[in-house]
Amino acid sequence: MKHHILYFTLIVLVLTAAACAPVEDDIFTTARVTVAAGDETVITRVQAQAKLTNVNTRQVLSSADFEGPSVTVELLRGAYQINIEGVVTCQQADGQTRMRQFRCQSDYAEFVRDGVNDITLNIIFLD
Amino acid sequence: MKRLYLFIIIFMTFKIGATASNADSALVEHTSIDQLTMLEAMRNPALHGSGYRTPFSQLSLGIDLLRQSQAFVLEKGTGYTLPYIKVDTYHHLNDRSAVWGSASYMTGKQHNVKWNSTSDYDLLEPYVLADTAGGDTHRERYAISGGYATHIARWQLGAEMLVRAEQEYRDRDPRMRGIVTDLTMRLGGGYDCGNYRLGAAVEANIYKQTNSVAFYREEGVIPEYQMTGLGTEYSRFSGDKRSLYYDGGGLALLLHLSPADHNGIYGDISLDEHRYHRKLAEFNSMPLTDLYDEHVGGTIGWKRQTASNRKMASWAHVDYTRRTGNEHVGGTSDARYFPVIACLTMYKQHLFDAHTGFLYGKGKWSAMLKAGYRSSNEKYVYPRRQMDFSHVYGGLLGQCFLRPSGKLLLTMDAHASLYFKTDDKLSLPVANMSTPFIQLMQHKHEYASANYTDLGAKVRADLAWKQSRYGLFAEAGCSVTLCSTREHATLIHGSVGITF
Repeated sequence: MKHHILYFTLIVLVLTAAACAPVEDDIFTTARVTVAAGDETVITRVQAQAKLTNVNTRQVLSSADFEGPSVTVELLRGAYQINIEGVVTCQQADGQTRMRQFRCQSDYAEFVRDGVNDITLNIIFLD
Repeated sequence: MKRLYLFIIIFMTFKIGATASNADSALVEHTSIDQLTMLEAMRNPALHGSGYRTPFSQLSLGIDLLRQSQAFVLEKGTGYTLPYIKVDTYHHLNDRSAVWGSASYMTGKQHNVKWNSTSDYDLLEPYVLADTAGGDTHRERYAISGGYATHIARWQLGAEMLVRAEQEYRDRDPRMRGIVTDLTMRLGGGYDCGNYRLGAAVEANIYKQTNSVAFYREEGVIPEYQMTGLGTEYSRFSGDKRSLYYDGGGLALLLHLSPADHNGIYGDISLDEHRYHRKLAEFNSMPLTDLYDEHVGGTIGWKRQTASNRKMASWAHVDYTRRTGNEHVGGTSDARYFPVIACLTMYKQHLFDAHTGFLYGKGKWSAMLKAGYRSSNEKYVYPRRQMDFSHVYGGLLGQCFLRPSGKLLLTMDAHASLYFKTDDKLSLPVANMSTPFIQLMQHKHEYASANYTDLGAKVRADLAWKQSRYGLFAEAGCSVTLCSTREHATLIHGSVGITF
């Protein structure tokens, strides 16, 4: 009888463990978006608004907190559209420093990995 | 298909009826409120087989009507009109074996359903398809069940199967349609150990629903929302994505202990886990959401039955349910195929219910007193939304069997219960919500956290013929629920039929 109870308890424990719902509570990740203007232009400062739109939920995150050419955002894991518009200070190949208006965007970027998810976007100058 | 079910009903009526007996004691045993203390044990088919001493069969034709002055739950509408025909039977084949079964057909209307285009709302909420228009829906349900139990020496063995096929549809835009197939199988065993009976059973369930919404008037098309909990929706696949299906099922484990002679301590434990996957039919079955429903329940009690037919029972019962919702994040599409790039747990609900009860019965009357506490904590993780509420409740249920004449037996039931709110909380990111969704959540919270008073009575008259196993019955009942929002609901039940 003791063996029966032992086997039964074991079956109950296995069934209970197997039945637990898979929970994924780690829902946030970090996205680092870097703007680039080609090899011959060095970006020293960015004054711009970065908008990240979650493709699935349509939630929009905005940040203007650029450090050098990059902005880092804490966001929900998922797929995003990115749109950045603003002004950039850059050093050109001829050594001149200029302030130029720019825009860059991406229709689809995945930010699902643990740690920092990097993406680089190429600038389109508007002037 | 209808003809097949009707044939089954008629077949069962006469086949089983030919060998059944009709006795008052059978009616009392099968309809007494004492049986409420055995409900959980009856889920084990092995114990169901030895649950009754007397055979009892009944064919009934009835109607259930519910009218609410304002929908208490918008997704379930303001009421229903549901006529049905049903046959139930429980029969001993011999000293060791018993069979039981039921077959029913129900058809009718659900009135003013809003924010829900999916059948089985209680099972699948919050992951339903929804729109703001709604309207009446037609419902049609076929259900059959059957079980067999036997005992060999000190062992009892039993098996049971329950099948439900249901369709719900609307014949005006938005034309929702939900077609449900629900199959449950149970296998159980029992063992007589001294003065006690130990029972264990496993239950397996398979659930399917195909769900769609169509619009015939192109100018009247409105968005269908893939709801994801507490007034949120899966925006990317809302709007014109109106064809989906649910694929689900689950397992349950039931343990039971009861005294063989109805005197002593009894108890049961149940562990249930069900999961329902919502998939988009038009995008290669892309999984949208998974709902996990985990439940643990336990009862410990004591009962006593004397030779003079005096019954007493006292018990404490606890239920805890955790409902977890995972959302699948769709990647970029390729020929209508969306890869899943992540899965996030966004919805969580904790339900708790604890009550203690006392039952006393003497001869032909019984009374049950119940008092308890229940709470619900519901959360959407991001953007954070929360809705909590709790109630203390108490109820009194009474039943009396009267025999005004030799042929007539009256069964009278009355109940009164009160739910009093103790706590409530609603937290929403209102600035980021559109007005219809805010109104939906305010309505949901207002009625979930309201105070309720429920009063009701039911009378059943059974007319028996001498020297015959057949009898006639008629039953009528009414209950009124008063809500602290100054709204009310009236439930009317009526049925007639034969017993055999």
